[in-house]
Amino acid sequence: MRIRTVVALTGALALSLVTGCAQGGAAGSSSDTVTYWLWDANQQPAYQACAKDFQKENPGLTVKITQLGWDDYWTKLTASFIAGTQPDVFTDHIVKFGQFADLKVLEPLDDLGIDESAYQPGLAANWIGQDGHRYGAPKDWDTVALFYNRKLTDAAGLTAAQLNGLSWNPKDGGTFEKAVAHLTVDENGKRGDEPGFDKDNVKVYGLATNGAGDGDGQTQWSTFAASAGWTYTNEKRWGTEYQYDSKTFQSVIKWYFGLAKKGYMAPFTDYNIASNQANTQVASGKAAAAFDGAWMISSYDGFKGLDVATAVTPAGPTGKRATMMNGLADSITKGAHNKAGAKKWVKYLASAECQRTVGSYGTVFPATPDGTKAAVAAYKKKGIDVSAFTRPVADEKAGGKEFATFSYPITNYAADVFALMHPAMQDIFGNGRSVTSLDRTNSQINLILDQ
Amino acid sequence: MTTLTSPAPTPTPTKVVVRPLRRGPSLGRIAAWAVLAAILLVTLLPFYWILRTALSTNAGLAANPSDPLPVGLTTGGFERALGLQSTKEAIAQGGAGGGLDFWRYLLNSVLVSTLITGCQIFFSAMAAYAFARLRWRGRDTVFGLFLAGLMVPAIFTLLPNFVLIKQLGLVDNLLGIALPTMFMTPFAVFFLRQFFMNIPREVEEAALLDGAGKVRVFFRVLLPMASTPVITLSILTYITAWNDYFWPLMVSYSDSSRVLTVALAIFRAQTPQTGVDWSGLMAATLIAALPMVVLFACFTRRIVSSIGFTGIK
Amino acid sequence: MTVASTSPPLRRPRGDGALAALFVAPAMLGFLVFLLWPTLRGVYLSFTRFNLLTPAEWVGLDNYVRMVNDPIFWDSLTVTVEYVAINIGVQTVSALAIAVLLQRLTQSAVLRGIVLTPYLMSNVVAGIVWLWILDTQLGIGNEIVAALGFDRIPFLADETWAIPTIALINVWRHVGYTALLLFAGLQAIPSDMYEAAKVDGASEWRMFWRITMPLLRPILAVVLIMTVIGSFQVFDTVAVTTAGGPANATNVLQYYIYGSAFGRFQFGYASAMSVALLVVLSAITFLQYRLTRAGHTDLG
Repeated sequence: MRIRTVVALTGALALSLVTGCAQGGAAGSSSDTVTYWLWDANQQPAYQACAKDFQKENPGLTVKITQLGWDDYWTKLTASFIAGTQPDVFTDHIVKFGQFADLKVLEPLDDLGIDESAYQPGLAANWIGQDGHRYGAPKDWDTVALFYNRKLTDAAGLTAAQLNGLSWNPKDGGTFEKAVAHLTVDENGKRGDEPGFDKDNVKVYGLATNGAGDGDGQTQWSTFAASAGWTYTNEKRWGTEYQYDSKTFQSVIKWYFGLAKKGYMAPFTDYNIASNQANTQVASGKAAAAFDGAWMISSYDGFKGLDVATAVTPAGPTGKRATMMNGLADSITKGAHNKAGAKKWVKYLASAECQRTVGSYGTVFPATPDGTKAAVAAYKKKGIDVSAFTRPVADEKAGGKEFATFSYPITNYAADVFALMHPAMQDIFGNGRSVTSLDRTNSQINLILDQ
Repeated sequence: MTTLTSPAPTPTPTKVVVRPLRRGPSLGRIAAWAVLAAILLVTLLPFYWILRTALSTNAGLAANPSDPLPVGLTTGGFERALGLQSTKEAIAQGGAGGGLDFWRYLLNSVLVSTLITGCQIFFSAMAAYAFARLRWRGRDTVFGLFLAGLMVPAIFTLLPNFVLIKQLGLVDNLLGIALPTMFMTPFAVFFLRQFFMNIPREVEEAALLDGAGKVRVFFRVLLPMASTPVITLSILTYITAWNDYFWPLMVSYSDSSRVLTVALAIFRAQTPQTGVDWSGLMAATLIAALPMVVLFACFTRRIVSSIGFTGIK
Repeated sequence: MTVASTSPPLRRPRGDGALAALFVAPAMLGFLVFLLWPTLRGVYLSFTRFNLLTPAEWVGLDNYVRMVNDPIFWDSLTVTVEYVAINIGVQTVSALAIAVLLQRLTQSAVLRGIVLTPYLMSNVVAGIVWLWILDTQLGIGNEIVAALGFDRIPFLADETWAIPTIALINVWRHVGYTALLLFAGLQAIPSDMYEAAKVDGASEWRMFWRITMPLLRPILAVVLIMTVIGSFQVFDTVAVTTAGGPANATNVLQYYIYGSAFGRFQFGYASAMSVALLVVLSAITFLQYRLTRAGHTDLG
């Protein structure tokens, strides 16, 4: 009896060991491979080139790069922590940094000798954890600007100078709203600021929509909220309270989503994260302009038959123009199989040499000034003017008189903040819920942060 | 009024459907059949629709969404689902390039379901015998405990079981998937005990008198006699294990331990930029559902007749 | 021969303790390790903060405080209750109708088999099939809607339609099994009752309400309890069709629990919510049992 049971169990165990072995190989890096994950397919060739140079300088080490689409990337990464199959190095994002720091799955990088001044301002400091250790090596930076369809703006009589000199306020929207309204054309050819404009039958929206924005609104409303003087949290980094209950913030949101109610901005239902982001709306001619990040420069440039230019963000009630300046970093996982190799690779990624290489591909702005220069030159060769993106950074370096740059909020429980803000903002944009509902959301967020 | 009822039994056997005394089908009866037919149609049409979609091209589907026949008859969907098309071809036909590693997932599903069913039924039968036929102290208390286990919704134990599996180092492993249900379920023990209790004791007692030990009685007498419910219970357990999604989703993270249900959900999530690859998705669905359909077709009568509360009253 | 026959009777009074231990051992192991221990552990974890990768730390009632104040938790509970109400309501009525039709019209096992076919599919398969059929642009369901002259309905993408749609998808999948359970219950009703009623001139409808329903009540009650408990645990269909959206309109409790545990690594909080679900289920089951007098049968 017992024997039979034992036999059955052993059989089962043996079976699983067999199958388990098949899996063991996959986790695997041998001691000379360094596994690296990234999500931007556009940037993969650049990093492949870096890897080649790195391998030349470090014979015996191989870098294995895996690219996964944005959604997939984070799901698989968190799953890999659970299953113990995490990569050695991965591209980290500030919005996830808080969560990974919570989970203590990141390896401290203090011994890499990262010098903050070697990078654009603010980038390196963002990756210091609450415990004072460094967890990310700066990789690149991006800002937000207004992409617009030159043909449509010419037809509307708006010059580049005008577009670069817009201002706004939460009461009447300022020259920005006027411009957007003027760019909006309904099915009968009437513009948004002309009498008889039919906001229910719009042919071309002045401004594309990128969805409700969740808790950061990077390419949606962040530039407005910041230029109105609002900040996400009570501290620059590792704040303990969010401020979505601020009246200033709520008035900005009300005005911003109000643009859609007036018919100047595409409605919430137009946005589709898979098939109809803001850039697609501009490309298809459904929208004249869109706020988007520097990582989209190549995409907009690649649209056939579309003449796209960029303008800086409008100035707000504070008198300054604001743009989020976000920087990605490379992090090493605590459970990495090849920590020594990983550290070497990260150090190389953060070095001037690799960043120059990446910059020369003209797909992203590397974090080092040299790398940035190389990127600007590469874009220029393609005929793209990126000054709308670089001006805020240059201004910041020179004292920040015209621009205010700010970062993604960096706090613990970032995933919970997202879980609460994502549907809350969708409710406001898509269902017309009152902005005061954010009061309750905010108190729930702060309750969680208090834990 | 009662003149027609007679104490003598009518010649009609009781298992025949009561026929109305009217001649010919009444309107009500026709209506009833119509309703039943409609229900059967709603039940079966989706399956046909899967087949029709799987055999169509994506372009054809977009052009003729309501054509009852496959549009642009092709096996492309199946090829994509099985990963037999090159990425280029797949993208050209509206797919995303990633296919189902079908044979491996099928093998995994078979392994897991067989392991669970085989062990669970066997161990539960042993326990059921102990509760039904053996005498021992605390027998009824322990059985009551097992019954109480029926009250706990499966879902409540999933998270802690996952934590346990992780601590045992069995995450992403087929044994990890099978383990929690491999030993027993309160229902199986209950069901089999019920059945054992209803078996007349004479055969057992005869065997016991002949000098057979109780162990022998279990294996040589009781189990064979209970073959029908055991087989039926096994089939139902197999189907349940095969169709499980939530638990395998938690436990498996790579191809080596992935089962069909999870693989199908992943295929569904691989939506290409241009829109969902319906043809490939339906083909994958058909492939995933096929084994159970075959199993059912072989054992229809047995499965259908077994559903009920036989023995529980 | 007769000498040997006296030994079994001698063994009996001593009991089969040792043997029973052997027989019950594997099941006992499974019960203790995978049923009892997790239940206790689940309750324990609900009082901790546990991210799976570092040891759990005791935080007392923090998770429960958070849960009570969590708007998403309450929304999730509401969504789940709405789902259960629609699902069980439609499923029970349909199952009853099918069972009665099957019993009164035909006893064919083939037809019963057909009715059961959706039950063989996993929830994942069912979800994907209906995702396609109800697709806004290309689904045959919406083609029919459009042909009838209405606007296309985004069944699974619209806030008001999503949960009812998922409830109905699950009805399609489960009604066969429920119907067969009720069918078995109907078989237990002696047919001479119907014969007698027929003789007295009762219509089908009358017989249904006066004979079938009262006698079916205990079985119906048990089936209701089973299906309600199962319905509260909906996860698969939601995961595969709407992933909790749009804007949490289909964020059923089990999905939220899963997201908290595996998406945000908050096993403690997820456990607290599981305990809440357990309490809700127990309360509902108890109420149901009482209200339907499921323990008593009128059949005698």
